[in-house]
Amino acid sequence: MKLTRRQLAASLAVAAAPAPANAQNEDLDAAARDRLKNNANALNAVNLPMAVEPAVVFRA
Amino acid sequence: MATVPEDVYFATIPELNARLKAKEFSAEDLARTFSERLQRLGPRYNALALSLHQEALRAAKEVDKDLKRERYRGPLQGIPYGVKDLLAFAGQPTTWGAAPYAAQVFQKNATVIEKLSATGAVLTGKLSMVELAGGGGYRFASASLTGPGLNPWDRTRWSGGSSSGSAAAVAAGLVPFAIGSETSGSIVTPASYCGVTALRPSYGLVSRQGAMALSWTLDKLGPFARSAEDCGLILQAIAGKDSGDPGSAGKSFYYTPQYSRPVKELKIAYAPVDFIEAAEPGVRAAFAEAMGVLKSLGAQLTEAKLPDFPYGAVLSTILSGEMGSIFEPLIASGKVDQLADKPQIAGLKASLELPAKDYLKAMRIRRLIQGEVSKLFAEYDVLLAPGRANIATKVDQRIDQAPPGMPAPPSNPGFRGIIQMGNLAGLPALVLPCGLAENMPVAIQLVGLPFSENMLLAIGREFQGKTDWHKRRPPV
Repeated sequence: MKLTRRQLAASLAVAAAPAPANAQNEDLDAAARDRLKNNANALNAVNLPMAVEPAVVFRA
Repeated sequence: MATVPEDVYFATIPELNARLKAKEFSAEDLARTFSERLQRLGPRYNALALSLHQEALRAAKEVDKDLKRERYRGPLQGIPYGVKDLLAFAGQPTTWGAAPYAAQVFQKNATVIEKLSATGAVLTGKLSMVELAGGGGYRFASASLTGPGLNPWDRTRWSGGSSSGSAAAVAAGLVPFAIGSETSGSIVTPASYCGVTALRPSYGLVSRQGAMALSWTLDKLGPFARSAEDCGLILQAIAGKDSGDPGSAGKSFYYTPQYSRPVKELKIAYAPVDFIEAAEPGVRAAFAEAMGVLKSLGAQLTEAKLPDFPYGAVLSTILSGEMGSIFEPLIASGKVDQLADKPQIAGLKASLELPAKDYLKAMRIRRLIQGEVSKLFAEYDVLLAPGRANIATKVDQRIDQAPPGMPAPPSNPGFRGIIQMGNLAGLPALVLPCGLAENMPVAIQLVGLPFSENMLLAIGREFQGKTDWHKRRPPV
């Protein structure tokens, strides 16, 4: 499609617009930690027999 | 200096190589043509991280000496290419797409670049990427030192990531092929969005030496190219044992699709819901046509389910653990705050808080996943899924949210976790353009067991023999 320079600049400006600083940083940090916790909860729901070892291979 | 005709821009590797041998133009002329095109048009898509014009011309002159002496090295001889800017090229910046590493210079080439150099392929530039391959969890396409990757089919849309420049450069005919990487979707997504054939190889088949590590046990390097055939030729050149890569599988790859079983003998598993209810309405017709082509080739398409695991949580936990360790110095120094994407910064910081027990639990579940995947492939030869269930998103669309018009996820998950499952189990995937929707590319992916690349490529070759979607070009 034919794109004017103005349209391209507008879409790039939206993508590049910085988020408000401190409050959002706190939210983002908390959200990132929450993601780790949510992942952990999902892992805890898996039936994991004691004998299952990690998927790693060591060889000299 | 001969004039190189414009039809080279979208020619395949064998086509270009034949024309070089026929002396229609020299390797130097071809390299100059592509390198100048990459310099001129790469910035239009934010695809170019660094031009290697002079280096390309020097390398091409050496190729011409070999060609003059009929010292032939194979189909990649004289073929220009680009690499994602996480691959080290000695003496020049390797930025990893990230401000903190903008001035980083390595003194040794990545193994993949060394191997391609040995074949006579000519490196013309470093291609843009999402900063640090996006492992921290980025929210916007602008998460890159070079700005958002813009799709050559529509520059208000994203080229996809994290191998943004690799996909866009091939799609726009700026390089005949490019090397990208995938940890979780970074080859499959941009290839699908840009309508480019691409291959995510089996884990360990291609050396990671000299490539930025995001996750040691998940990272793979693979080609973007004009066709499945081209991907096979490239993989043959870049695969192989490397003692410099602790994850190296120690296997070579020889592109021999002629020895693969024909498509009509293969059982291909798929989930209909992926192509209908879970897909954006506009792309469903393209998927239906692609299924029709596979059926006409004789493929036995069988409905199946993936083993039930929280693939996203498993992959994300493993990625967090490994990424946190790799980038601990960046995070501890505070330089992580120089990255462009704030959610990515937060994700990287949080990764240092991941308990070891969670990482180990994820790696144990990974073993279960690998076992169940093996059972799945005892029944089926190939898994078929959309590359993406939607066309490329708008450049300002949040990546962690569904784009407008996307249907709510159906209760039947289909093969929803196939990208994560495939990466956790080290499976190869071939992306094949299969149509257009709203004049944007649509693609399918074929996934196989480790080291089944020849089978996938053989299917791809047959599919592309019956379709021409891989030959469609954006309005450059």
